[in-house]
Amino acid sequence: MTKEVAAVENLTLIFDKSYAPALADVSFYLKERESLSLVGESGSGKTSLLRLLLGLLRPSSGKARLFGQPLDGMDEKELRSIRRKCSYIPQDPFGGLPPTLNPLQAVIEPLIITRSNLKDVETEKAKKLLSSLGIEEALWERKLIQGFSGGQRQRIMLARALVTDPELLLADEPTSMQDASTRMDLINLLKAYLKKGMSLIFVTHDLLLAKAMTQRGIVLYRGRVCETGPTDLLLRDPLHPYTKALVSALPKLGKPVEVKVKRKTLPTGFKGCSYFALCPYGFDRCKDLPPLKQLGERSVACFIGDTFQET
Amino acid sequence: MMEVSSLSATYPNGFNAVKRADLNLASGKMLALVGESGSGKSTLIYACLGLLPKGSKVSGKVLFDQIDFLALPQESQRRIRWKKVSLILQGTMNSFTPVLTIKRQFLETMEEHLKLTQREAEAKAAGLLEEVGLDDGFLSRYPHEMSGGQKQRCAIAMALCCDPDYLLADEPTTALDVITQAEIMNLLKSIVRRRNMGMLMVTHDLALASSTADEICVMYQGCTIETERSDVIIRSPKQPHTIALVKSLSMMEE
Repeated sequence: MTKEVAAVENLTLIFDKSYAPALADVSFYLKERESLSLVGESGSGKTSLLRLLLGLLRPSSGKARLFGQPLDGMDEKELRSIRRKCSYIPQDPFGGLPPTLNPLQAVIEPLIITRSNLKDVETEKAKKLLSSLGIEEALWERKLIQGFSGGQRQRIMLARALVTDPELLLADEPTSMQDASTRMDLINLLKAYLKKGMSLIFVTHDLLLAKAMTQRGIVLYRGRVCETGPTDLLLRDPLHPYTKALVSALPKLGKPVEVKVKRKTLPTGFKGCSYFALCPYGFDRCKDLPPLKQLGERSVACFIGDTFQET
Repeated sequence: MMEVSSLSATYPNGFNAVKRADLNLASGKMLALVGESGSGKSTLIYACLGLLPKGSKVSGKVLFDQIDFLALPQESQRRIRWKKVSLILQGTMNSFTPVLTIKRQFLETMEEHLKLTQREAEAKAAGLLEEVGLDDGFLSRYPHEMSGGQKQRCAIAMALCCDPDYLLADEPTTALDVITQAEIMNLLKSIVRRRNMGMLMVTHDLALASSTADEICVMYQGCTIETERSDVIIRSPKQPHTIALVKSLSMMEE
């Protein structure tokens, strides 16, 4: 049996009781060598999920596991040792890198922290990563992080995350500031690591990127799972109205963008489908919470999602 | 017609960001200026409006309906901005003053450029908000009481407040989710058609440009290397850089 790398079960996260939960009843699992995308707009709970998985946030209810071990009973020391098998790329390249180091120092820093003696081979590895990500050799030891652009910092963050050869990489919008051509370089590098056996949880709001990068995807809206399934199916044949809207709004070469949402004000105390405020189809039944229905390798939380025919 | 010919721009530190760029924008059309970061897109539109930092060198011609903008004295340039041509800055949704209501910010701009009574100005502001899909209740809001998409709509309404013939927009949808981005792009396109306004949009996203703009102009290292109808340029790009851009996107979509 393949090893489980990460899993969450019925995870709920409440920051403030007077607001809707940041995450509600989310479950998923990831096995060795697998890749998974968390897709959704800002505020959908993607980043919180990553932080919960690293034990940086504690859930209000539900369970999270890393490498088969439950996180809830662990103390700080145990958490730290399990985190060493993971790398995390935070979303913000301006807050996520030490500004006063040069790129080479920034990339080998995780090695210094996790290894007692730094071998030459490992410094070579850092250099190789930097050069494959297009950071000029002349700048490695001459320019400080604070002088680099957002896109360059993102690439330095990726090098820093990969240098320890993590078993699991949690990457939060790691290509958001890249131009089209450099983005392909990043994707190809990540794919090479996936081939070597790394597992990946990839946060993005872009379904095309989710498909290019990962096998499976989870679409989240306001903290709830809308739809899960293989990323190529999510893109080609979306079931949930939110996934449909995401797909049609994606700018694709030469195809006009379509807006498939209808913005409504929610009645106070509304407890129904989290997508009701945007859904163009919403009807009376949607004032209850739709269950997540399993349909083979996919699942969808919508009363009409699996039967719905485009007219 | 907005005509830019042989425009060059050099920053005070000597960096030559735009090199003999040419472009033409007709009324009622949307032209997208596409290129990677550092290719000179933003500098080009600031140079068109005389908004580069002091000490920058700009040469070439920028005509708005035959008016030679760069040859005008500063005071006349100032009167043309907003009324003839207005600008939506990158991250413009964060450029509202946090301590003033939206109404106050509209009136400030209109008082400066139009001779309207307060009542007329308020009515006009409400009409503009309606045009971008917001009800007049937003006039009494503060910027922090609005979502990113709502602020962006508001910024567009404000750019229209002196009924300009041309609108220049620098990355008008960055930092918005794809659905809001699609809504804003459709809104801009319908405004361009309805008002028969010319719009120049800077974006790094060729897919977005090709799905909304009528024409695309590709910039590379400060030069405008290829301008073509959107559907044509993605089907048969000619310059090597354009070919590479189209290819890297098609690879994603496969």
